Amino acid sequence: MSTEVIMPRLGESLVEGTVTKWLRHPDDHIEEFEPLVEINTDKVDTEVPSPATGTVLKLYVAEGETVRAGTLLAVIGEPGEEVPDAPPADREEGATQVAPPKTADQGTPKAGRDGLGFISPVVSRIAAEHNVDLSQVSGTGSGGRITKKDVLAYIEGGRSAAPWEEPGSGELFRPTEEFFGDKPGTVPEPTGLADTVLPLDAVRTQIAEHMVRSRRTSAHVTTLMEADLGRVLAHRKEHKQSFAREGANLTLTAYFVAAAVEALKEVPIVNSSWSEAGIVLHKAANVGVAVSLGEAGLIVPVVKNAEQLSLQAIAKAINDLAERARSHKLVPDEVQGGTFTITNHGVTGSLLATPIIHQPQCAILGIGALQKRAVVIEGLSPSGEPEDSLAIRPMVYLTLTFDHRIIDGGIGDHFLGIVVQRLQSWA
Amino acid sequence: MPDYDVVVIGAGPGGYVCAIRAAQLGLKTAIVDREWLGGVCLNVGCIPSKALLKNAELAHVLRERGEYFGFSVEGLKLDYGRAVERSREVADRLVKGVGFLMKKNNIEVHMGAAILRSPNSIAVTNSEGEGVELGAKNIVVATGASAASIPGLEIDGQRVLTYREAILQTQAPKSVLIVGSGAVGLEFATIWNGYGVEVTIVEMLPRIAPLEDEDVSKELAKEFRRRGIKIMVGTKVDNIEVLKTKVKATVVGDSGKEILEAEQALVATGFRPNTAGFGLEDLGVQLAESGMVEIDERMGTNVPGIWAIGDVTGKLQLAHVAMAMGIVCAENIAGVETIELNYEMMPRATYSSPQVASFGMTEAQAEQRGYEIRVGRFPFQASGKSLGMGETAGWIKLISDARYGEILGAHLIGPEVTELLPELTLAQGMELTFTEIARNVHAHPTLSEAIMEAAHDAEGQAIHI
Ligand SMILES: Cc1cc2nc3c(=O)[nH]c(=O)nc-3n(C[C@H](O)[C@H](O)[C@H](O)COP(=O)(O)OP(=O)(O)OC[C@H]3O[C@@H](n4cnc5c(N)ncnc54)[C@H](O)[C@@H]3O)c2cc1C
Repeated sequence: MSTEVIMPRLGESLVEGTVTKWLRHPDDHIEEFEPLVEINTDKVDTEVPSPATGTVLKLYVAEGETVRAGTLLAVIGEPGEEVPDAPPADREEGATQVAPPKTADQGTPKAGRDGLGFISPVVSRIAAEHNVDLSQVSGTGSGGRITKKDVLAYIEGGRSAAPWEEPGSGELFRPTEEFFGDKPGTVPEPTGLADTVLPLDAVRTQIAEHMVRSRRTSAHVTTLMEADLGRVLAHRKEHKQSFAREGANLTLTAYFVAAAVEALKEVPIVNSSWSEAGIVLHKAANVGVAVSLGEAGLIVPVVKNAEQLSLQAIAKAINDLAERARSHKLVPDEVQGGTFTITNHGVTGSLLATPIIHQPQCAILGIGALQKRAVVIEGLSPSGEPEDSLAIRPMVYLTLTFDHRIIDGGIGDHFLGIVVQRLQSWA
Repeated sequence: MPDYDVVVIGAGPGGYVCAIRAAQLGLKTAIVDREWLGGVCLNVGCIPSKALLKNAELAHVLRERGEYFGFSVEGLKLDYGRAVERSREVADRLVKGVGFLMKKNNIEVHMGAAILRSPNSIAVTNSEGEGVELGAKNIVVATGASAASIPGLEIDGQRVLTYREAILQTQAPKSVLIVGSGAVGLEFATIWNGYGVEVTIVEMLPRIAPLEDEDVSKELAKEFRRRGIKIMVGTKVDNIEVLKTKVKATVVGDSGKEILEAEQALVATGFRPNTAGFGLEDLGVQLAESGMVEIDERMGTNVPGIWAIGDVTGKLQLAHVAMAMGIVCAENIAGVETIELNYEMMPRATYSSPQVASFGMTEAQAEQRGYEIRVGRFPFQASGKSLGMGETAGWIKLISDARYGEILGAHLIGPEVTELLPELTLAQGMELTFTEIARNVHAHPTLSEAIMEAAHDAEGQAIHI
């Protein structure tokens, strides 16, 4: 008896998705629960498992096609069995959007990326196909070389400890809210023979739409302060091991989230969104944390109800979300419902940036690169005279980009001041 | 009782290499052998056979190819006795070399049969019947394997031989029946055929070189037949009767029973591990059903402190594999960094004419495992070097995974192809693909260019075909 594979509903508000890659093809054997197809939605990339063991008899949707939940995707059964050949009934007309499937055949990706040592061509192709950030993979080959076995193990199982701080990309974040309005028009013609056109995939298109829309919607203002992370670093050094025993990889991001949450408690209006009816103050502090997916863009999983979490719980939540974000295992609800966002653009070396607000939130906290800098410490001499000194301190620039429609400069500064103060007095 | 960190039993390529590595790592090491340093390989295996094969190649050219190359020899005399003598000189010289290496590395050599008394002590009895006891924190079993016969075949060493008698006898027979077509059978077929012996190979399986890729078997059979070697596949030898001046074998094939006669018969049907009679079982060392000593990836047996390497483990009965196992074993004993061997990707070599070399999966195996494969080929017919050499039989076949480009295996048949594997196995180990091999400039003209061409072919565009 054959089994139909139906496009699942991937989340509360998710009614359609794009088939990016068929992992099995007609006549291939597949076991129950083995991944059959990769689906991309505006929220997440996910794999749909086979509902049965058998032979793939027919695929109904081509790679690159976008279909609604409930659409017939494929039929699994015994070889030679009759299959329905009617096209899926409820595919939405006009919703078809062509996103080029990622394939491994677009040339061999460059090997030997910074700091990773020799990356073999085979490893590089596997990483490209599965969107693996190789800096997250530990190598067991000679001299610590990342072998095929290592990447495959990483893809298979726990994409091991993903130190959240490490990689990043220039983009600030990827939209996590609803799918916005119109699709872009036509692909521009190349202007010369040497030009190439990179097709717009779903992620790129959505990032573009969201950014432009946010710019148009909010009155962006950015305020800048700096913080001395000496105490945070000391605290982290002291607790990293004990946290690790509890299963939490204590990252700096956890401190930023914790500090921001305290500031949100003190200045609740920053934890808000603009609506036609008025400014909505959110009770829960749901803090989105941008996670780089390398070339596949960025995603912003949300630490829900962060106001109720300890530093350790925050660290754990971030570890978990970041890990699953990189393995494309987030469920759509985990990237929705944010009320405030943090972007750690410093991981790629940026000292200072003015991020774009994640609609419909009020503000976004940008964290620059941690840098040892010479700072002037104001103090007193033993005799009580003012006496300044120079010190080398671990400094970081923090920006708050806020919607001037909702709050004014003073409130933004007050909020950011609390974040700084909290970080500098960490104990 | 002298006490050692490591005592190695058996001084074949596995054992003596293990001993050297152990000594290099600062372990107090001794080695025991009941017969000779160098084991089968140096004394009666790899090395003397390669010397004989060189002689056979020259003999073949002198006898058969004068017209092609443009020479003639009147009253050509081929002295097979001298060929064997030369092979002994080569073997002896290397065996002396092993003795020198033992000295150089301060490894104590005890000649005599070893018996394991406990996991920590060994009794060695020399040929005079004198005994010594050796204490050992670790014992490495490297006792090798012996020729295995099949029921019905009585080996007498005169008419019915194993490789041992065959390689040492100073006269070639006029006609010979070779039972089995693995590396040993194929190499002796080549040696004797070179000297004009009438050779018949009887193989029970449906093709010669049955463990190689099917295309290789076909190509080799074609070449052997062209050289006048008779091949009977799918044929079983029921029994061999020894008469005064010849043997009479009853064989059963598709066409029924048949009687074959020859001056001698060589039984080359495989090896059985040397595990009996020296106390292994008494210490509870686990043997597989096939009788091989079971080991883990560290070369450890189930008994702590007892290790095993080489032919006795039956992994791949090849000298270079035994040596690699020896190194890994010593490193594990010393607790230093080491590697895990991937037996599937070990090079395999048969020195017949044409030679056969391979590693990894055959085309059929790769397909069975569900790989979508890409195959690159290049015939030696199109190689300038091989044309110049006048040896154009054979080809190269490379196999990779179409998805990620991983090299899965290679199958080579042709002149000197056993020399061509290292580039491929290194590439495989480092997870390079055929793209890199194709782009690696090879000197022209060389046989190795054929690899580059086959790699180009796998990538879709060979230049020279
Ligand atoms: C004709 C022929 C040609 C071959 N050609 C090749 C080739 O070209 N390439 C290749 O890779 N391989 C070749 N081989 C295979 C190769 O010889 C073996 O794989 C290799 O010798 C195995 O090494 P080893 O150390 O495991 O054992 P061995 O070389 O068999 O050595 C074992 C040693 O242990 C000793 N021993 C056994 N029991 C005891 C005991 N109780 N006490 C003391 N000593 C003991 C024996 O005397 C022997 O010296 C060939 C084999 C043959 C027969």
